[in-house]
Amino acid sequence: MKKNIPFFMIVGLLLLANIKVLAQEKIFNANEILSKVDDVVNAPKDQTIKLKLILIDKEGKEEVRELIMFQKGSEKRVVKFISPASQKGIAFLSLPDDIMYLYLPAFKKTRRIASHIKNTKFAGTDFTYEDMEAKKYSEKYIPELLKKDESHYILQLKPKDGVKTDYSKLIVWVRADNFYPTRIEFYDKSNNLYKVMTREKIEKVGGYWISKESEMEDLKAKHKTKMIVVDIKFDSNLSDEIFTERYLSR
Amino acid sequence: MKKFAEIVLKLRTAIVVTTVVVTLILGYFIKDLKINPDIFSYLPKNDPVVKLFDYIGEKYGGNYLAIVALETDDVFSKETIERVNQLTNEFKLVDGVSYVTSLTNILDIKKGEDGIEIGKLIDEYNLPQTDEELKKLKSYTLSKDIYRGRLVSPDSKVTLIICRLREDVNKIEVARQLKEIVKKMNLKAKVHYSGLPFQFLDLTEIILNDLKFLVPIVSLLIIISLFFSFRSLRGVLLPMVSVLISTIWTLGIMSILRVPLTVISDIIPVILVAVGTAYSIHVVSKFDEELSSGEDKIKRAQSALNEVGVPVILAGVTTIAGFISFVFGSYLTAISQFGIFSSLGILFALIISLTFTPSVLSLSSPKRKMITLSENFSKKNGVARFMDKIGEWVLTNEKAVIVCATIVVVLCFIGIPKIERRVDMLDYFRPKNPIRITEEMMQKKFGGSVPVQILVKGDIQDPSVLKQMKKIEDFLKTQDNVHNPQSVADLIEEMNDVMDEGRMIPDSRDKVSNLWFLLEGEDIMSQLVNPEKTEAVIQATLGSVDTKRGRKLIKSIDDYIKKINDPSVTFIQAGIPMIYRNLDDSIINSQIRSLIIALILVFISLVFLSHSITGGLIGLTPIVFTLMVIFGFMGFAKIPLDIATVLVGSISIGIGIDYSIHCVSRFRKEFEKSSSELEALDKTLETTGKAILINVLTVTMGFLVLVLAELVPLRRFGILVAITMVSSGIGAITLLPAIILFSKAGFIGDFSRFINGAKNV
Repeated sequence: MKKNIPFFMIVGLLLLANIKVLAQEKIFNANEILSKVDDVVNAPKDQTIKLKLILIDKEGKEEVRELIMFQKGSEKRVVKFISPASQKGIAFLSLPDDIMYLYLPAFKKTRRIASHIKNTKFAGTDFTYEDMEAKKYSEKYIPELLKKDESHYILQLKPKDGVKTDYSKLIVWVRADNFYPTRIEFYDKSNNLYKVMTREKIEKVGGYWISKESEMEDLKAKHKTKMIVVDIKFDSNLSDEIFTERYLSR
Repeated sequence: MKKFAEIVLKLRTAIVVTTVVVTLILGYFIKDLKINPDIFSYLPKNDPVVKLFDYIGEKYGGNYLAIVALETDDVFSKETIERVNQLTNEFKLVDGVSYVTSLTNILDIKKGEDGIEIGKLIDEYNLPQTDEELKKLKSYTLSKDIYRGRLVSPDSKVTLIICRLREDVNKIEVARQLKEIVKKMNLKAKVHYSGLPFQFLDLTEIILNDLKFLVPIVSLLIIISLFFSFRSLRGVLLPMVSVLISTIWTLGIMSILRVPLTVISDIIPVILVAVGTAYSIHVVSKFDEELSSGEDKIKRAQSALNEVGVPVILAGVTTIAGFISFVFGSYLTAISQFGIFSSLGILFALIISLTFTPSVLSLSSPKRKMITLSENFSKKNGVARFMDKIGEWVLTNEKAVIVCATIVVVLCFIGIPKIERRVDMLDYFRPKNPIRITEEMMQKKFGGSVPVQILVKGDIQDPSVLKQMKKIEDFLKTQDNVHNPQSVADLIEEMNDVMDEGRMIPDSRDKVSNLWFLLEGEDIMSQLVNPEKTEAVIQATLGSVDTKRGRKLIKSIDDYIKKINDPSVTFIQAGIPMIYRNLDDSIINSQIRSLIIALILVFISLVFLSHSITGGLIGLTPIVFTLMVIFGFMGFAKIPLDIATVLVGSISIGIGIDYSIHCVSRFRKEFEKSSSELEALDKTLETTGKAILINVLTVTMGFLVLVLAELVPLRRFGILVAITMVSSGIGAITLLPAIILFSKAGFIGDFSRFINGAKNV
């Protein structure tokens, strides 16, 4: 993570200096674009986000969940559910090397969760554990620039050899001005589009770009998950103590 | 009739042209005719049991399971696991498949050294490679009830890939796609296809093959036998063509109305060929008889039509009466459809033989005269002499005939209670058919694939509800032949176990909902619980669908459910056994109802014909005799009553009555002219009797061809109709005259005018 900070700062400075003009002038290649995307997405040192998850089934019925997420760098993360009441206090801790812990308040017990469940859906959402990973695209995928229009770069990402993934390719729309990915299409193993993620309300908060409303739609299951940012704080020097088993039960 | 004949012949060119054009148009539509072997789609949608079953199917991912089973020495081999993984991934992408369950994607909950795992039994990105890994996987998998005997056979020789199909898709098409995927893979393992969708697929092929193979044979046989009887190519071809036309019309109209061929209505073409030829034969035969009159063709056709019109119409109408009896109040839509379209087909055959046939006759110039019925008889050949003998024998032994018939009836009566009933679709396949062999294997190794379901309504996250569900599952396990009960309660128990709280339902709702949270979004959850968590389903499988056992199971489950006195939860039984029970009831009901309707309709026609109630009753005797013979035979020969054989009774009434009608009307005519009842009987048997014999032989032969069918109901149907023909034929030429002579019934004429009686001859 650390090595990314200077990149972020450059990006930040560029943004301040009205990146729009510059971006249009310089022609980036696919690899450059992707690494800029990684930089923008993983820019904050730490973040505390209160999220509202809205699960929408094919009949349009909604189910709402609220959670708070603490993240430090790109690999340490705690997710705690706040509502509904029946799920209050359920917490996950993700640490580097795919280590994950789960706390169940009704049992007052923490259990380690095994790692090979990447393509399992996360807590009833349309995000799999793989989608939830704080990941760097450029580590997993080989990009190819398909198109550039006035406002977006359109990249095709194909997994590198040896990368375990549920997807055969991704098509990513990247904003030309700030390199924030706004739309990602996920293709299954036989190359059919089956999930679409869209990011809206892309705003700058405390110097970082963030999407306040994103949505993942599973086209086959006709199920949607909306993620709405209720509150967000960046770089508040989260203590390492938060990212421990012990803290989960608090 | 005279007027009708005039009109027909006036318009003869127009009739021929119209017939040809209509045939071409309707024939074109046959290409769209679909086959629907899905017997569950024949069920009435408003039956509560069917409604509930459909509801569960819609809500929980579909009731139809297409199962691909791989059989090898040991499924825990690198190769097999890889293949299972490949197939699982490819099946998932088939449109219409809602869920796939296999070793490589099934949810696994376990306690490991490094924590709990709520993941997959096998990590598809890290398939076991070494022998050691495979061994470990094998012993783990076989140690868990949820896999052993469900996904892997206990001897680990067979593993299943189970595809759940959505309710709203064409299951046959999906099954076809799944099969293609498997075929492309060139598997080393032996592949079995199980479950209804694959059975439907095979049934469709069997029905098509049977039709393609049998209809030509039946036609050919009838042509040959008719040719030997009449020695005129045209006299044979014209009836065949008219039947062909009526078949094309019927199938064309079915196609336009989007009515698919079913396991039942696929018999229609064969029936039309076997039954429909007779009408045109009469017309052609009479036309040639008139040849000697020296009149021109148009006149001859007109008078032929005039004379045979009424008997042909009557014969057709009574046959239709037999078939139309299925239309009223039939439980299965397929049976009422059969009633409608077979009646329609016969009506077409009738219309064509009265319009098209005489028109063609009047337009064509016969090179050779057909041997007419009367000429044939005048030759006093072997058959005629044989008929003479029968006549004499009947006349002198009328009481013996009646006694014999009574004995036969009594014997058959003993057989009737022995009749079995079958509603099981597997029964449609011959014992050696791969589908049957596969299902036997499935029964032996996995406890069958017939779903038994119990719908649960209540707060599913309430521990007391879950405990009650578990109790029902335990109860199901004690039931004969019931296997693998499964519900969300099992998953909660397992989760509780990995939290080190024991394999049981936790006491607090909070704990349940904590555990539940981790399962949310798993494929299996949506197959077991509704999203609102107010309804769940307990699924189990049943080894066989034996009707008696099924009824017993339904009752004991219902009794058990009734005893549960908990206002917070309700349990409702559903599943195939209940549908089979209703189907079974309906088969008995429609048997009785259609027989009564057919008998009444035929009785009315007979009364109309003989102008006498006694006449009607006597005319019915050969038919009642035949019905007894059929049902007795079914009892003794173990031919079960199923959705095809249930048709035989009414069909035999419709077809067999023609013999009675012909016999009675001829006998009355001859009676007036004759000097003794023997002479009248002799004459009747020589003419009509012989015609009946030819018809019996021809039609019987036609139906016996069905014995070659791959589809079992079709074979049974063929045998039974053949027996019907023989029995009603014999009944009409022996029993019927015997009863008439014995009763000296007044509707025939005045018996007292033969003072000496025929006995002394």
